[in-house]
Amino acid sequence: MGEQASGDPPTTARQRLGALVREQAAIVCCGAGGVGKTTVSAALALAAARAGRRVLVVTIDPSRRLAETLGVERNPPEPMPVPAALLERAGVQPPGSLEAWMLDPARVTEIVIRAEASTPGEVRDLLHNRIYRHVSTMIAGLQEYAAVEALHMFLTEGRYDLVVLDTPPSRNALQFLEAPTRANLFLDGRVFQLFIPGEGGVIRRATAKLVGKVLDTTIGETQRVELQDFFKQFSGVLARARRHAVEIRDFFALPEVSFLMVTSPAKEALTEAFHFQKKTQDELGLRVAGYILNRSLAAAGDLGSPAAPLGGSELSEAQLQGLKKLRPLAEVQQAQAGRDRELLDELIERAGADGFALALPYLTGGVSDIAALVSMLS
Amino acid sequence: MGSDASHQHTPGGSGRSMRHRLRMLRLLLITGKGGVGRTTMAAATGIAAARAGRRVLLTEVGEPEAGHSHLGQQFGHEQLTARPLEVEPRLAICTLSATEGHEAFLRAVLPVPALARAALRSKAIRKFLNAVPSFHEMGIFYHMLSLLRQRRDDGHLEHDLLIVDMPASGHTLALTGLPMTLLRLIPEGPITRELLEGMALVHDPLLTAAWVVTLPEALPVSECLELIHGLAETQVPVGGVVLNRLPDDPFTEEERAALLPLMEAAPVFGKLAFERILATRRALRRLTSAIDLPLTVVRDFSSQANALLEDIAPGFVPRPEAE
Repeated sequence: MGEQASGDPPTTARQRLGALVREQAAIVCCGAGGVGKTTVSAALALAAARAGRRVLVVTIDPSRRLAETLGVERNPPEPMPVPAALLERAGVQPPGSLEAWMLDPARVTEIVIRAEASTPGEVRDLLHNRIYRHVSTMIAGLQEYAAVEALHMFLTEGRYDLVVLDTPPSRNALQFLEAPTRANLFLDGRVFQLFIPGEGGVIRRATAKLVGKVLDTTIGETQRVELQDFFKQFSGVLARARRHAVEIRDFFALPEVSFLMVTSPAKEALTEAFHFQKKTQDELGLRVAGYILNRSLAAAGDLGSPAAPLGGSELSEAQLQGLKKLRPLAEVQQAQAGRDRELLDELIERAGADGFALALPYLTGGVSDIAALVSMLS
Repeated sequence: MGSDASHQHTPGGSGRSMRHRLRMLRLLLITGKGGVGRTTMAAATGIAAARAGRRVLLTEVGEPEAGHSHLGQQFGHEQLTARPLEVEPRLAICTLSATEGHEAFLRAVLPVPALARAALRSKAIRKFLNAVPSFHEMGIFYHMLSLLRQRRDDGHLEHDLLIVDMPASGHTLALTGLPMTLLRLIPEGPITRELLEGMALVHDPLLTAAWVVTLPEALPVSECLELIHGLAETQVPVGGVVLNRLPDDPFTEEERAALLPLMEAAPVFGKLAFERILATRRALRRLTSAIDLPLTVVRDFSSQANALLEDIAPGFVPRPEAE
């Protein structure tokens, strides 16, 4: 990494994660729902900001938890700075900064439309297109497309040193990376052409004609014509989407982009994480940096027994009773800690020599408190 | 009695009304945040309803090219198809598939059989149907409708109760909001007739209920409340909330207060369990004060997978309660 690299190469999992946070241009967090992916993403972003970087954390999760976690507005039109008071409490100092954004696919598409259309009249036509207005939130692949477009925007602008991406809790989370092979309106040009009759070769023309007939019967001619107009009007936007998808795929293959698999000790979450790892690494050929084992007791190795904090002090009857009842709970937890440690070892092995696996604790209060985020990674 | 041991219901037995309704419902949508246990709850409810004598079809919303089926795994199947597969007497499982829905729809509405055949044979058209705005969701919706309508030779319904393990919150709303969106888009034609019929069923509180599964934690409760609101906006009747994984709380009020300073003194085993109990109480208070819906509480079982289903299912058996 050149002469400036200070000290030895990072060895522990924590050091390796620290290095990612300080050096990478993008970190993509993948995993099942409910494992705390959004929380981990926020914590990583905060850690990077503490290290003096300009950071953006983006969530594509339609569940909107990021805003709640970082205390920013719900549906901001663009990235919002995390409130200064919060950052100060978290120990972030200039030049470090942190902005958060909840991906709004309709908003991204609007930005693209404004950039792509050549006249104000055209912008108006596109934005007011009846079909677009009604279905803009549920176009197949729109979310994934918007993620690509937003990333492209943020990365080319150079406003941030690091973008942390929190992916949706879906098996299709990486769909945008495999785009052209899929039936994706935005990213598959061939599908799109079926709407435009009279173009292409004999077979394509015949298929387009058949599509026309099927549509006329099912939704009626008026709606069919409207649909075709929609596609003609949006052809420029769609072409741009395809171009950017290719660029983003290339970008994701660069060494300064890392994928992290976030999981909890739950069996279903692990299955999902392994699925993502396989997909990312084997099928897409991208680099999986490692595993985050979130909400685990693996790091709780040296905890004492519930009687430990008492010393020789006098205990009330209620305290004695409470401790008696606490003991079995402590035993359950201790057994769980043992299982979590074994699981961590398994993940370390899976991650291989180049990867890492790091255990993070379970935070009970939910993470509405920034201090808890800081404590996760410091 | 025994069947209730695993469950606590809110005062007034409102959770019981969820079980009662299982005897009459035709469609049950199980939804909630990612990771709250939707699939487990859908499977347990399906098992319970089937054992009580209803013919149940338990389904999940198919994602194209998904590597494995969460629902299938509950019953030892790595993958599911669109064809119902019997896993227990009166209980079958399958995937709701957009392609299957498209095919059923085209067959039903295209006047010329040859046209339908040609359309279905074309790979390009299949791709196209999945890519056009909201056609994918429409296919899922139509497949669900055709399964609900299926009848046996003797005229009885093939499936009395269809349970859908819905996708996570945001995606659930995209699905439940679809019929209304499409009606605005396509105000007439064969699709419209189908949509209206489907909507009449999905919006009927006697026939359809959505159950929102959540956990007694801060973020899941927030999302649960948001989802209930969103479902109401799409006019889907919310039948109740299932609060999953409630930890046992052995402490009295006094003991909790007495333990608090001790737990702050040092990190010890048991502290996390104790804090979780406190957090649970906060979340539960917030949930119950914010909603006026039947609530079923499922306690935190340490059992895994199949054993877990057997632990949970009895609490959902929809038999009439002895007073």
